[in-house]
Amino acid sequence: MSSGTPTSRPVFLAYVALALLVVTVLIGMAELLRQDHGPTSPLTPAVEGEVDYLRQEVVCPLAEGREGEEREAVLIDPELTPEVNSNQLYDCPQTWDGRRIRYSGEVVGALLPRKDAVWAQLNDDVYAESGAPLPTHRDFRGGNAGIGVLLAPDMAAAVNWIGGPAKHGDVMEVIGRFQRVDNATGEVAIIRAEQAQVVRDGRAVEIPVSRARPIIAVLAALMATVMTVAERRARRRR
Amino acid sequence: MLFRPDSADFRLILLYTARVVFGIGLAMAVPLAVALAHGESADAWSFVLAGSIGVTVGRLAEMTLQTRRQLDASHALASVAMSWLTAPVIAGIPLFMSGHYASFLDAYFEGMSGFATIGLTLANDLDHMTRSVNFWRHFMQFIGGQGIVVIVLTAFSSGAGRLGTLYSGEGREDVILPNIVRTARFIWRVALIYGVIGTGLLWITVTLAGLSPLNALYHAGNLFMAAFDTGGFATQSTSVAFYRSQLVEGVLMVIMTAGAFSFALHYQLWQGRREELLRNTETRTVFTSTLVLLSIMVIGLVRTGTFDQFYPLYRHALFNAISAHTTTGLSTVPGRLFVTDWGALAPAVLVAAMGIGGMAGSTAGGIKGIRIGLVLKGLKGDVRRVLLPEDAVVVETYHAQSRQILTSPQVRDAALFLLLWLGLYLSGALMGLFYGYPLEEALFESVAAASSGGLSVGLARPDLEAPLKITYILQMVVGRLEFISIFALAGYLTSAVRGRV
Repeated sequence: MSSGTPTSRPVFLAYVALALLVVTVLIGMAELLRQDHGPTSPLTPAVEGEVDYLRQEVVCPLAEGREGEEREAVLIDPELTPEVNSNQLYDCPQTWDGRRIRYSGEVVGALLPRKDAVWAQLNDDVYAESGAPLPTHRDFRGGNAGIGVLLAPDMAAAVNWIGGPAKHGDVMEVIGRFQRVDNATGEVAIIRAEQAQVVRDGRAVEIPVSRARPIIAVLAALMATVMTVAERRARRRR
Repeated sequence: MLFRPDSADFRLILLYTARVVFGIGLAMAVPLAVALAHGESADAWSFVLAGSIGVTVGRLAEMTLQTRRQLDASHALASVAMSWLTAPVIAGIPLFMSGHYASFLDAYFEGMSGFATIGLTLANDLDHMTRSVNFWRHFMQFIGGQGIVVIVLTAFSSGAGRLGTLYSGEGREDVILPNIVRTARFIWRVALIYGVIGTGLLWITVTLAGLSPLNALYHAGNLFMAAFDTGGFATQSTSVAFYRSQLVEGVLMVIMTAGAFSFALHYQLWQGRREELLRNTETRTVFTSTLVLLSIMVIGLVRTGTFDQFYPLYRHALFNAISAHTTTGLSTVPGRLFVTDWGALAPAVLVAAMGIGGMAGSTAGGIKGIRIGLVLKGLKGDVRRVLLPEDAVVVETYHAQSRQILTSPQVRDAALFLLLWLGLYLSGALMGLFYGYPLEEALFESVAAASSGGLSVGLARPDLEAPLKITYILQMVVGRLEFISIFALAGYLTSAVRGRV
């Protein structure tokens, strides 16, 4: 380390402050150039009093069946088809195992055909349900949530829009049996659909862009070019 | 006693940091090309902007920060730490501007998670993310997995002889070839060859899984980077479960395992010395530990009754055990089920597997097989010394390219690192407990962040408390750089403020 004149403390702290200022300016610029829209969005209001499953123990109607415990049989009437969401299924997989349920979500990613069936991923998070995927707004509600569904080919044929970048997929409602472990396919936590229908058509979505973004980007590119040329000249002089 | 550094010390550290920023700026040309190919103009401009900032910073530093001072070990270590803390700032700009991150802290977290090949994500609505931004997440893992500092500096620096400390500062120990530049090129060659073969195989299997060929190529490229660099990001929120294909999972298991091999071992195999695979102490340690942990996991899952048939049991236990042990973080099971349906023993095994990690000098994180192996051999030697007559000479050996005698300092160093790692895991878990999360989940996520394990029970989510996000970021960088570089930077900062003239 050091063999010259040591840097004084105020000078060092001034440089640290300058570096932090530069980072703050960069973040501020990125924030300004994100999109030309405010924080409002067509999303549904946040649910009040929602259970934070990571902090609070979710009470499942049936025993969880930890090591050594006997699992109880499913007692709830299997003919009823309660409407459930993916959080309920993941929170209490043994409660819902083998039961007939009603579930709806946006088709995302791709449809994956197999010999006599088609796999679909149905997301039931707030971006899927309310028809407002990011980045069309700035209302952030977390990651995606959904479940894999095994559809008959004729059910899958009804899907026209698959959710992805700048595309909102069809919202599909399925009635089927939830399988905690599906021994036939080896998959976990899936629904084998018995009935399915598209309840809302998908659509292309427009991603709003800040009009200043291209201008600032071009200016930055020009600056980079100038710096590169200047540095080359300086290097040649050295 | 601490001596206060002078301006030449800081210039040197900042110059090397700026060179890395320059390299990251240039690397953004690749996602820019992806954005243009997919007509994602908004993100294309983001990459132009962030890339230009990186290039400008780099060139400005070359003009203003040149010094005659030679790079010494402390400069190199501090430069590595500074580079790793700075790179996600530039890399985070296009992520933040994509509109999928609630704050810049989240984008920075994602950048660090990418470069450090962790795999934890704070992306909102991943399934609607544009192709170029999603690609950039994976590409960061590819860059970070090989070692951003060494790769960038060997590409843009001339003084190869002085780069040795930079290389070890990034958590690498083996210099495979006589100099760092050749070693770095060898690492790139291995990555590219595996890249071509792995991406090709994944392309075929993902196409067979049902994706269109073009779409499958995109997924295959990203999957390869996530698996070989033991990164763990995925293009879809459901990770590998999205493909519903055991073929895809099979190929990924091979790639993850290759990624967790040290590049020195790859070199030995490259030279045709296949027997090294069986003799190498670290390979044997990791292989044995995988088998033991997998067996315990199977016992746990059978006792819990999670699986009642062999096929799904072996499929999910094997994939997730390998993913955890190689510290990749790809998963065939929704993370929440680890807590609600896998009992207590199986998730504990995943934590242990992530904690141990892969091989030193690989893209994997964690304590590393060699350290566990050396500590166990040292322990075995101590037990033998107790049992044998006092005048008996006990010699323990280990195999790393050749048979070597195990010395006490080696065992002490390995034990010291073991303690540091356990402390790192514990610190994150304590922070999780402080914020009210149960022990099981707090420990799982802490180990995932520090070891680069990347499997998650859902705690690392966009609405996670900011101090916990910062804790995980620190764990990621400290774990990836294996402590010393961060200690060196902290030493520099302390001496700048409190050091004597």
